[in-house]
Amino acid sequence: MQRLILVTLAVLTACFATPETASARIKLITLPVRERVEIQLDNATATLVEEERIVPLVKGVNQVDFSWANTQIDPNTILFRVLPRPDGEVEALEVKVLSVSYPPNENALVWQVAASGSGSARVRISYLLGNLTKSFTYRAVADHDESTLVLSQYIRLQNFANEAFGSTGLWAGFGPRFLKAVGINETKQILMEKHENVPVRKTYTVDATEFGYLDRPKNKLTVPMHYVLKNDKANKLGQAPLQFGKVRIFQEDGRGSTAFIGEDWGKFTPLDDEMRLYVGTAQDVVVVRTIDKNEQKRIVGSLYNREVIVKFEIENFKDRAITLDIAESVRAIRNEVVGDTGRDVEWELGPATTFAGGLDKSQSTFDKVVLHADLDARGADGTAKKVIHKLHIIIKNEW
Amino acid sequence: MRHISFCLMLLLVVSEISPRLRAENVDLSTVPDRDTVQLTIYNSEDLTLVRETRKVTFKEGANPLQFSWANTLIDPTSVQLRFLTQPDKLEVLDTTFPHDKPQMLYWNVHSEIDGEATIEITYFTSGIRWSADYVMVADQQETKVGFEGFVRVFNESGEEYENAQVRLVVGKINLVEKIAQLARVSMDEVDKLKRDERLHFQVESARRALSMPASNASGFGGGQPAPKEVIKEGLSEYFIYTIEGTETIANGWSKRMRSLTPVEVPLKIQYRYREPEYGMQLVRLYLMRNDVASKLGTTPLPDGVVRVFRDNGRDGLSFLTEQAIKYIAIGDKIELNLGPDPEVIFELVKLKVWRDNIWMRINGADVYRRVDELGVDVQVRSTVAGWDEHTIFGQRVRNFSGKPIDLEVRRSFDGHAVVRSLLTVSEHDYRTMQYTASVPSGEQVDLRYELVVHLDRNAKQSNVTLEKAEVTP
Repeated sequence: MQRLILVTLAVLTACFATPETASARIKLITLPVRERVEIQLDNATATLVEEERIVPLVKGVNQVDFSWANTQIDPNTILFRVLPRPDGEVEALEVKVLSVSYPPNENALVWQVAASGSGSARVRISYLLGNLTKSFTYRAVADHDESTLVLSQYIRLQNFANEAFGSTGLWAGFGPRFLKAVGINETKQILMEKHENVPVRKTYTVDATEFGYLDRPKNKLTVPMHYVLKNDKANKLGQAPLQFGKVRIFQEDGRGSTAFIGEDWGKFTPLDDEMRLYVGTAQDVVVVRTIDKNEQKRIVGSLYNREVIVKFEIENFKDRAITLDIAESVRAIRNEVVGDTGRDVEWELGPATTFAGGLDKSQSTFDKVVLHADLDARGADGTAKKVIHKLHIIIKNEW
Repeated sequence: MRHISFCLMLLLVVSEISPRLRAENVDLSTVPDRDTVQLTIYNSEDLTLVRETRKVTFKEGANPLQFSWANTLIDPTSVQLRFLTQPDKLEVLDTTFPHDKPQMLYWNVHSEIDGEATIEITYFTSGIRWSADYVMVADQQETKVGFEGFVRVFNESGEEYENAQVRLVVGKINLVEKIAQLARVSMDEVDKLKRDERLHFQVESARRALSMPASNASGFGGGQPAPKEVIKEGLSEYFIYTIEGTETIANGWSKRMRSLTPVEVPLKIQYRYREPEYGMQLVRLYLMRNDVASKLGTTPLPDGVVRVFRDNGRDGLSFLTEQAIKYIAIGDKIELNLGPDPEVIFELVKLKVWRDNIWMRINGADVYRRVDELGVDVQVRSTVAGWDEHTIFGQRVRNFSGKPIDLEVRRSFDGHAVVRSLLTVSEHDYRTMQYTASVPSGEQVDLRYELVVHLDRNAKQSNVTLEKAEVTP
């Protein structure tokens, strides 16, 4: 089916005093075609199209008419630049843009361009175009023991701009530049990068505030699992920030095939930062959380200290040892045992805390306590050893 | 299409002129063309002063002149007639607005001569406006920007002004009524408006605008056509941009012309956290100055939209932002907010909270004791009446961009607050502290400060004071 070119550039070869008077005369129009198109996709929300055309000009004032239909070109963003000739070529023409006129009720504009002589000029027209959008997706294939994965990053270009682009340069602001044709209403997915042997850290976490309970009456906590990738060179990444996008995660099944094990939104991850992907809930790690002690100690009048011990009974039914990350919000603990006073909690770690290594200071804050528990694999007879850990918090100066 | 017409009426029976009489008789009229027309367009209001000159031949005695402006947006209260030649021989005896013919008036001119004179008609119209816009293209290293300014004139007035000299007024004027409103009511209705307001409106607006003499229109000149120069002159509190030569802007069309030739302006980048201005995010700014050192500073920059691009180093541009700027005086700063930088992570982390200096009120009486005061006994019926809340904050900044960054942070605190830190902290206002820091590329810094808020009985002020002190969580 023949398709109309919707964005046109026309040059009137005769000189006119005003664009509007031109329409009343017999005129000859040349239609310079696109010589080169680049689509710049590096802005988070806007798409910049840059196209180059060779425009024949006559000596004097020329009208260069740019019009479009059924596309969302933002006319206020249109830039018209005359490109210098490549090195070594004689500068044949001096070309200046005198003004731009905008006709009423039309998607068009007319540049008045003065040329020192007759000849061709290479011009670049840049504009923001709506409905030409990009997104990123990832496919991660973990190996059988979940120690490394292959991360493939794709850019997905959706062209609902109602304009076709022939062989066009596409650049996302990082990574390689692609030369592709993009048709109307076409979605094009292109592999940008494939990262092999990316080390992955699998984490098991409990956090009553953030992830809640699997079985509240029995005080069983949800144990979400995450893959953590570090975006640096040591971890076979670190070429560019990882863009926000959906990550589909597969795992090699040991029989030459892969199984889909879940998907998550990968957040924008700058260089040296970590991407954390939720890969489901661990069923083989059971954590029961109870408040073991809640004791108020008056200091004076209505002023109290309070001692709270949170007990974790943990069983690892997996056939391998793991480390469990335990996070607690101290404010949530105070609210749980007393109610919300509206004030931040002043606290310190009590001596009854059993976690080896104490607080993970790199992840803990004034409110969030992060601790780690190393858990052995289940025994040969299939039974899991129950590990009991206690978190002792002394809440101070409450009333 | 022309809607404004001017006629010299040669009536078959002329003694006392009555509009009614004219309307019912066969009239003969001549239609003198415009010789020159000048548009002075204000951007702060929907207001344009039109000044046109025509050559008219008068006969001795009474000369009726008709001026009409059907389907345009002219304010009838503003139309004035002046005689540029033979002013001592010509006089307007009266002006009549016929009630049955809106958008028309008659001048009854008494002439002592038989011959030609140049007249000037001025009036306000709405529907013509102008706006400024700017294009900036930063170099790849972001050390300078190519800065270009444009003005765009829009003509939606219903009238076509051919070969008009165009002058653009930068600055805010005062109008008590909208011209568009005045243009849409008949003269009868206008007369109902408060006389004082009309007078003020006419006198003040006209005084400012008319004080500039009309200059002769100049053409392109001989050689190669070049972009027209925009001459910028100060006038009272305003700036007037006069576009070289004349322009024809047809009704419904708009035209954009360059007002500032491209210059390379040095650029500084700063990251800022100012919640009232930029919201709860660290934003990246381009900072420039409208001064001579920056190759600008010849004119204020009128309100307008700035579109910022950057050379992407691959023979193309990156679009950075589009932003409206307010009027920038000569010498003033140009600040462009490029929004958050995804490669700079900015987190405020509370590292520690504690309370001290706790005072108890004993038995509800006007007796207070400090909790850690020696010799205080446990008082069962005492309540907390005042305390100091200490919070240690770490402003964690991770710079994943490829360049070192400078940042400036402002934070405001309610109540009686003290900020302790070894950072370079200063007071921005009585409740806002400000500090600056640099973060090398690829590094993370924790900019620590301790906030002490005196609460309830302990609060003696409502301000923030700064103390130099080491902060250890």
